[in-house]
Formats: sequence, structure tokens, C-alpha cells
Amino acid sequence: MRRRIAVLVAISIVLLVGGPVSGQTPDPPATQSPVASPGQTRIEELERRVRELETRLRELEAAATKPLAPPPAPREPAPAQQMPPSLGPPTSVEESSTVSRTGPISGYMDFHLNKPEHEDAQLDFHRFVLLFNHSFSDRLRFVGELELEHAFVSGLEASGEVELEQAYLDFKVKPELNFRAGMVLAPVGIINERHEPPSFHGVERPFVDTFIIPTTWFDAGVGVHGTVGAGWQYRAYLMAPLDATRITAEEGLHEATQKGFASNVRNVAHTGRLEYVGVPGLNLGTSFWRGKTGFNFRRVDSRVGLFEFDGRYRAGRFAARGEFAQVFIDGAADLNDFLQRTAGVSPNIARQMRGFYVEPSIRPLPWIRHDVAAFVRYENFDTQFKMPEGVLPLKQFDRAAWVFGGSYFPDPDVVFKIDYSIIRNRSSLFRSVDSLNIGLGWWF
Amino acid sequence: MTRTTWLRGGSLACAALLVVLVSPSSFSQDPTVIRVTAERFTFTPSHIKVKRGTIVELRLRSEDTNHGFRIVGSGFNAIIPKRGRGEATLIFRADTPGRYTFECSKMCGAGHTFMRGTITVGE
Ligand SMILES: [Cu+2]
Repeated sequence: MRRRIAVLVAISIVLLVGGPVSGQTPDPPATQSPVASPGQTRIEELERRVRELETRLRELEAAATKPLAPPPAPREPAPAQQMPPSLGPPTSVEESSTVSRTGPISGYMDFHLNKPEHEDAQLDFHRFVLLFNHSFSDRLRFVGELELEHAFVSGLEASGEVELEQAYLDFKVKPELNFRAGMVLAPVGIINERHEPPSFHGVERPFVDTFIIPTTWFDAGVGVHGTVGAGWQYRAYLMAPLDATRITAEEGLHEATQKGFASNVRNVAHTGRLEYVGVPGLNLGTSFWRGKTGFNFRRVDSRVGLFEFDGRYRAGRFAARGEFAQVFIDGAADLNDFLQRTAGVSPNIARQMRGFYVEPSIRPLPWIRHDVAAFVRYENFDTQFKMPEGVLPLKQFDRAAWVFGGSYFPDPDVVFKIDYSIIRNRSSLFRSVDSLNIGLGWWF
Repeated sequence: MTRTTWLRGGSLACAALLVVLVSPSSFSQDPTVIRVTAERFTFTPSHIKVKRGTIVELRLRSEDTNHGFRIVGSGFNAIIPKRGRGEATLIFRADTPGRYTFECSKMCGAGHTFMRGTITVGE
């Protein structure tokens, strides 16, 4: 307020002494015109500006939107109006707009160079993802996310994939209750619903978010979501279950999702997530998954349960995140027996899998214009944490990883990443492979 | 020149001149400033309560990419600048009691549609 008054006084003085109105328009050089003296010219100029400002003011008063302050400049008092626009009577969401709007295409890209130890380096255009959204009205919205993985798709197994990761309709009732149906992301863990490259450190996603939580985990589903109370968010879906025939000893649940490809829904899975986001910088979440899984062999009764909790915290230059996930597979012994009899080899599916990680990070150079971050992540993941009775776990699947590296953001939506990943396992026979990874990712 | 560019480019002198010309006392009351942080995929705080008659100044800041802030059923819609690029400001009079929904109006990622909240104007 005091600042405003000071500005008013300053401007009044400027007006009284007839100084320049704005630093942007210097006085015209004095002329010898017999018609208008420099003083008259200035008065005319001022009158013209007053008229211009009055017009602008009328426009502002008519507009409901209060435009923004210029982004990087130090804060100036916002251009004030006599009375700011009123919020007006609240309208129901349904009444407010029934005009269809298609948003611009957004997306993200992920371009990697991976150099495993003792192997040749590989360049991989890992992900090319486009997001579409269309609002039929303020109440009904469509969102689609189409992903091309590894740049090239053919009929062969070793090539890339085209995935429809999201394609749902949201029916908004109120903030506490919204309905969703279509192809949805399982609301499990940090990365599955938050996987834009600038939003996590490391070139590749964490191992826990690959083998224990099979990101990107998406399938056909229907459910509800909303925000409740001061800072709680929830989602609860029924989704197509996991396929037990694709669970492996080495990669856990990584390939076990049906991905909406004629997903079998003889039994549906239940999944949900609860998040607390009420404190700036803090995000705590917990999620679960539970569903029958052995639909390909009906006499075997098997289920996958997953329990997970995670947290993220940011304070100034420091940030940290962590996640814990444990998978329970009921009927693992029967699954192994059955698959051994039909395929000739036991997949050695575990009764329990477990993984967790912690990842502190810092922005060590706050004085430079672009963000630079350094991070280290410790991960521990075991896809044979507990085996069915009478079966010993293989030690090479009990793994730990140290991943350390940095991220450079020339723009908050563009990131250049580099990291080195050291993986160790408990076997004396099998050695895990370390790797150097470089990545370029962007969101637009 | 559009209204936005005029405001963006307007010098301090121009802005202050506007105050001189149209409003000897500026607002009749100081606005209540509420800071809202947007981040994939939440607004904090997501539930805002104000008393009827308050002039509310929302200062909107992002911790990552551009987000939008749209109050459903009103003309209020702002784009929140990316991290480190300042903040967006929305000023309005909260003179009609009720509950208003706001949401992110700029696609910001896979969980964009979760970004919603409410402004409650009480008696
Ligand atoms: Cu958004």
C-alpha cells in the first residue's frame, strides 16, 4: 500500500512538472514550429495518453480475467482497478460450459544412450509420447496418451511397441467425486502416473518402478477419483488383472500387464491410491492392487496383491523421494507346477517380491540461471524375496543398485541427464552389469 | 497491441498513471494474498476459504512446468509460468457466497486431470 502511495506521489510530481510520461517515449526534439510550442505538444501528448488509458481501463473492467505480471521481472504493483472483477455467483459445472474444446497436443520424448559395461553403446529413442485432450463440456472430458517405444515397430518381438497408455473419459461431478472409464494408468507408485522425463532423476526409471511395479502399468478400467478435505486425493479403480503366465523370476511383474490387448476380465482387479498433498513440498502416498491372475489356467487359484507407499519432499535446494513396494502372489507353487507341466520349464515365480529405494538430490548451483541437480539413488529389489515352500530363491535376483548422476535443465521442460548405475547381486556366479547412461528428455 | 502485451510491456510509470487517473484510493481494501503452488499434479493448497466481501489476490507459482488455473464457470483463467519464471496473479472480489471449483487448464502431463480444487466463499 505504502509503495502504491509512493508511486502515486512520484507520478503526480511528474505530471505537475510536465516531465516525460514514460521512459519508453523520450520527448521529441524541440522544433521551431510556429504552431505548437513544446509545452503544448506535451499537453497534447498527455491528453492522448489519458484517452488511451481510459479506453484500456474500460476494456479491463469489462474483462473478467485479470492478466498476469511479466514473468521474470521483479514484482511491481499489479495494475490496479477501482474494483477487481467479482467472482460472480457460482455456477454448477454442468451449467458453466457445454462448448467442446480440443486442447493442443502435448507430449514428451526420451532419447537415450546406454553403454553397458563390456558392451557396445546403444542409442535408443526410448519414448515418443503424444497426449491429446478434448472437453465435450466442463463436465465431460477425454484424455489420450499414445506412446511409441523404441522408435520402430514391426511384427517381431525384438522391435518397439505402440501403446495406448491412456484413453479415458472423465465425468466430473464435483471435486470429491469424478468417474473415469477407459484405458487408465494403475494408480500405483511415484512413477507410473508421473513419468514425464523432467519430473524424475536418472535416465532410466528406477528398477523398483520397473520390476516390482511394472511401469508404465495401464489397462482397461473404470473407477472414481477426487480430492477430499485439506489436501487428500484418492483414486479407486476396477481394472483388468495381471497375467500370471508373464510373471518371471528375473523381471518380476515387468511384462505381466495385459495392456488392454483383449484383456481378460473374468475377474477384475481392485486398485487404489491415497495421497496427502496438504503441505507445500510434501507428497505422501500409498497404494494397493489386488486381483486374480491365473485366468489362463482356471483350476489354479492365484492372486497378485501389491502394497506400496512412497513420499517426496522438497525444501529449497534439497529434495528427496523414496518408495517401498511388496508383491504377494497367492498360489505361486501351483502356478509353477502348472506352467512346468504345460511349458516344460518352471518359471520359478516367487511367493513374494520386494523393492525399495531412496533418492536424495540437491540443486548445488542456485546462482546459475538454469537448474542443475545432482542425485544419488539406492535401490534394493528382489524378485525372489520369498519362494513357495520347498523352493530356494536364486541369489542373482536379490539385487541392489547405486545410481548417481545429474540433471541439467536448460528449460524447466527440457532435461539433459547423465548417470552411472552400479548393480550388485548376492550370487557368486552371476555378475550384474553396470552401465553409463545419457539421456535427453523434454515435455511440451 | 493486445491487452496482455500492453500489461506485460507497460512500464511502472504507465501502470501508476492508471492508478492516478482512475482511482485515488486504489482498492477500498488491501487484497488478501493467498499463495498457491502448482506441481505435477497438485495445487497446494487445493481448498481455499475466504470470507464474503474479501478482495482476493491469488499468487500462483509452479514448481515445474506451465500449469493453468481456471475457475470453472467464471472468466478467470491464468497460465502459471514455469519454475523460476515468476508468478501469475488473479485478483477478484469474493462477494457471492458459494463453492467454486478451479482446475488446471494447461495440459501438464499424465495426471493433469487430477489437478482440481475449490474456493469457498463463506458468509
Ligand atoms: Cu495440468
